Amino acid sequence: MRYWVVGEFGSGAEAKKALGRLRELGHAKEKLDAFTPYPVEGLDEVLGLKPSPIRGFAFMAGLSGAALGYAVQWWTNAVDWPLNVGNRPLNAGPAFVPITFETMVLFAALTIFFGLMWLFRFPRPHHPLFELETFRTASTGGFWVSITTERREETEALLGALRELKARNTSVVEEAS
Amino acid sequence: MAEVEQASETPTKDPLEPAPLIEGAQSAESLTASLLRPIERKPGLIFWALLLLTLGGTGLFLLAITVTLVRGIGAWGNNIPVAWAFGIIDFVWWIGFGHAGTLISAILVLFQQKWRASVNRFAEAMTLFAVMQAGLFPVLHLGRPWVAYWLVPYPNTMSIWPNFRSSLPWDLVAITTYFTVSLLFWYLGLLPDLAAARDRASTPRGQFWYGVFSLGWTGSARHWHHWRAGYLLLAGLATPLVLSVHTIVSFDFAIAQVPGWHSTIFPPYFVAGAIFSGLALVLTLLLPVRGSLGLNHVITDKHVDILCKLLLATGMMVSYGYLQEHFFAWYSGDEYEMASYADKRTGTWAWLFWFQMFSNVLLPHVFWFKKLRTNLVVVWFAALAVDAGMWVERFSIIVPSLAHDFLPSSWEGYTPTWVDLSLLAGSMSFFGLLFLLFLKFIPAVSITEVKELHHELKEALAAKEERERTESPLREKEA
Repeated sequence: MRYWVVGEFGSGAEAKKALGRLRELGHAKEKLDAFTPYPVEGLDEVLGLKPSPIRGFAFMAGLSGAALGYAVQWWTNAVDWPLNVGNRPLNAGPAFVPITFETMVLFAALTIFFGLMWLFRFPRPHHPLFELETFRTASTGGFWVSITTERREETEALLGALRELKARNTSVVEEAS
Repeated sequence: MAEVEQASETPTKDPLEPAPLIEGAQSAESLTASLLRPIERKPGLIFWALLLLTLGGTGLFLLAITVTLVRGIGAWGNNIPVAWAFGIIDFVWWIGFGHAGTLISAILVLFQQKWRASVNRFAEAMTLFAVMQAGLFPVLHLGRPWVAYWLVPYPNTMSIWPNFRSSLPWDLVAITTYFTVSLLFWYLGLLPDLAAARDRASTPRGQFWYGVFSLGWTGSARHWHHWRAGYLLLAGLATPLVLSVHTIVSFDFAIAQVPGWHSTIFPPYFVAGAIFSGLALVLTLLLPVRGSLGLNHVITDKHVDILCKLLLATGMMVSYGYLQEHFFAWYSGDEYEMASYADKRTGTWAWLFWFQMFSNVLLPHVFWFKKLRTNLVVVWFAALAVDAGMWVERFSIIVPSLAHDFLPSSWEGYTPTWVDLSLLAGSMSFFGLLFLLFLKFIPAVSITEVKELHHELKEALAAKEERERTESPLREKEA
């Protein structure tokens, strides 16, 4: 059983300040999160997030895409079925460039998209916070801060902490596991 | 309901930016509501009329495709030597339109041009639908479209592979990659907006479908963190991709020996032409749509102004391409080359060539004048003329060059058939149909980015006022 203690703030800056304060109070960064309608500058630092691994994924995928693209063209046209067209070279490097480039971009782009889906654990059409009617503003104009806990007795104190930071619409949502 | 930030006037007070990017008193909530209104309200009479019209046109498209499949390419006006005509003209024309979408959405992200926020979704949708039309033409042109998969290297019982030294497999890979990457880029940008549509939906059906397509987006800071990195990377990949796609399309011509095609200026000149035509189509579609969907507050006159300036700049690049082509035909001293270009200027299709010069070279120069850039009627007609002029450009590259190649004995005229014309008109209708459905079901303006922009403009204004407050006493002291 997990409990989500959430509160809404009026702006990204307020949410950022509240999160900073909660971290000063000793809450583990893994337990904290913010939900905002657009990316808020500086939230990553407050939450102590590491640079996204998606860059590395994309780089590796791009390299393998290019290598595979070239290898397929070379193997099919120069090795497996050498086709002599006007005595042009069988391993025609310059002619293989366009497809090599395209497969590089294709592999990298697919990896970025599906890598993000994996990082987000998507598709996940249901989230415990969606039970909360007021939480709908998170995608339109509200800035929410959440703390999770496994212990029910902690929720009251956390609610109090959020209210002290001037959060509105504070709630506790129970996540059945 | 939470107390939300107060609606406030956002226009910039910067004297260097007299026209605002977002008009009127706005807040995050009011922007979300106004940008979602077109998909929430009931469609009007105009929508149904346009839907009927485009559906009818799409029916014509299907008929023309059926005739092509049943009777073969003989149903088209193509002959020998004009083996390429409408099929390839329409293909290059449609794929060119897509490029402005990627330019606006990807290249301007890298240059951090804030104004793109209001028009990128629109332009990207245009890209996707244009590439869908473009992809159909080479496939139909194959004559036996049902074996189009022979272009893909797969282990087959015939033990043959595609010849990768030909430009046809390059086209296949370029177009499918371009479509896939554009779709992923567009959908990734769309996720937060679909979540907003889900959260504001009042009907169970709306909640369900927007819920399914938003994949469970919550707006978590951890998700935004990865999302931003991924979005920027996709923009970075799409930028060289868009340049490569039209470069590869130009190779279809440039690697051939035909006089009028075999030219090194083709790759950059095709890319510039593609962006030029795409910007014109953005303007053609944007001007009627923004008023009828109530988007005038986010797609302001400033956006039209910037797009006109871009149209002027790319128009001049295209003009340079024309100049180069004709100059090098003359400078090469090659009589076939010279004859081919002389035929374009004075031959059977000279009137089309001179229309092209008027619409693509002369007409964009009206945008030097601010008065004309802000006159929406002038802008719309000029953009429409460029759309048509760019189709004519592809015609005058393909048909006159093929009709008059090396041997006068093999010269032949060309006339399109009703199937050719129906395919062109039909593809326009199909494009219109897809675009209409897009406007009905998907937020046409990126809500997330407009809200972010609104926030940034407000911050910048506050910082500026703060600076003025602290600096003015200092100046007085100095004086």
